[in-house]
Amino acid sequence: MFDKKGQIRIIEAFLAIAVIFSALIFTTITFPSSPNLAKQKSLASFGMQALIKLDLNGTLGKLIAQENWTDIKQSLDISLPIGVSFNLTIYDENLSPINSQVIQNTNLLGRETVSVQHVCASQSQNIQFFILCLQLAWTR
Amino acid sequence: MDEMTEMREKKNSGQVLLIAAFIMAFLLLSAGLYIFEVGKIMGEVESNSLNDFVLAVKLGSRHVVVGSLANVSNGGSNSVLKWNLQNWSSFIDKQYQFGKSVLNYTLEETAPYSSGIWIDWGTDGFGVSSAYANLTYKLLGREANLNQSYFINITTTLLVESTYQVGVGDEKQVNVTINLLNEGKPALAKQITIYYKDQLNNWLIPDETNNNYTISDYGNGTYLASFVASIPSPNVEVSAHVFDQREIYVQANETSTQI
Repeated sequence: MFDKKGQIRIIEAFLAIAVIFSALIFTTITFPSSPNLAKQKSLASFGMQALIKLDLNGTLGKLIAQENWTDIKQSLDISLPIGVSFNLTIYDENLSPINSQVIQNTNLLGRETVSVQHVCASQSQNIQFFILCLQLAWTR
Repeated sequence: MDEMTEMREKKNSGQVLLIAAFIMAFLLLSAGLYIFEVGKIMGEVESNSLNDFVLAVKLGSRHVVVGSLANVSNGGSNSVLKWNLQNWSSFIDKQYQFGKSVLNYTLEETAPYSSGIWIDWGTDGFGVSSAYANLTYKLLGREANLNQSYFINITTTLLVESTYQVGVGDEKQVNVTINLLNEGKPALAKQITIYYKDQLNNWLIPDETNNNYTISDYGNGTYLASFVASIPSPNVEVSAHVFDQREIYVQANETSTQI
């Protein structure tokens, strides 16, 4: 009698381990890794790459110092993939917004946005520092 | 009979408990795994933003050194580089939101540099405007700590070679070859001005109409300036004053050789 009880418990223990492992395998296969965060991550990456690319040879700082908001918008339009909406706000050292025109391609109202920040220095004789805040969203 | 039913109920309640325990384990594991996955992505996002921030700091530091050298080479004080790097450092220290950020700098003092600046506009056809700074960036973040040391060396070099041919009377056909380099690589100029010395030791700019002055751009940082001028002395001295695309100024003088 006692031996049989012991065997059943051992079988139950194995069964429990099997259930736990199958749960582990099931969760890794079926649960998606938060699609929203993955999308936001790629958006943020696109935004940062666009700003850094523009800043590589000092063009970004030069355009800001010249207050050439149209060229900045066009450059971002070219650098960002199709289907990405953006809104860029540029601040000076004292955190006052300096872009007199709105730098955006479409309105971001009501969309799930991701925001990236970039610090930048102008490559001119009178150096100025800027903080750029780029908001991005996927168009529906 | 009653004893048998009791026995069966007891046995069944044990199985139900076991199944409940399995279900709970399953739910706990699923929840744990999901949280782990989400946390992993957040970590990646923060790590990417950290890398991008460090890259932005390095880029900005480079722009500051370029701008400072442009200022110094255009007649500004040598202390401009120190002043600008100090401001940039203070600006950066305040910017990173997820931790503590410290940017330190030292200006190169090893000869020929002094306060991070080396300006040598020679008479042997060689001119250089250069700035050199060593920087250390420390970041104590929520996700990572980093300590990066890097240097920024911005150098605009000008190489001038000149030859001349004697024409009618005091007239001389002068050719000046200019090579411009940024950090040792051929670079395009924004503005080039050529001068020659007349018999009264005045520096004159050749005129397009009177001196048949032409300048050819080879597109690879090499320029050829040609002009005809009345220079009685066999010593034909020329000078090239150049701004590169970054507005860094450099000049070099050269004595032409007769061919």
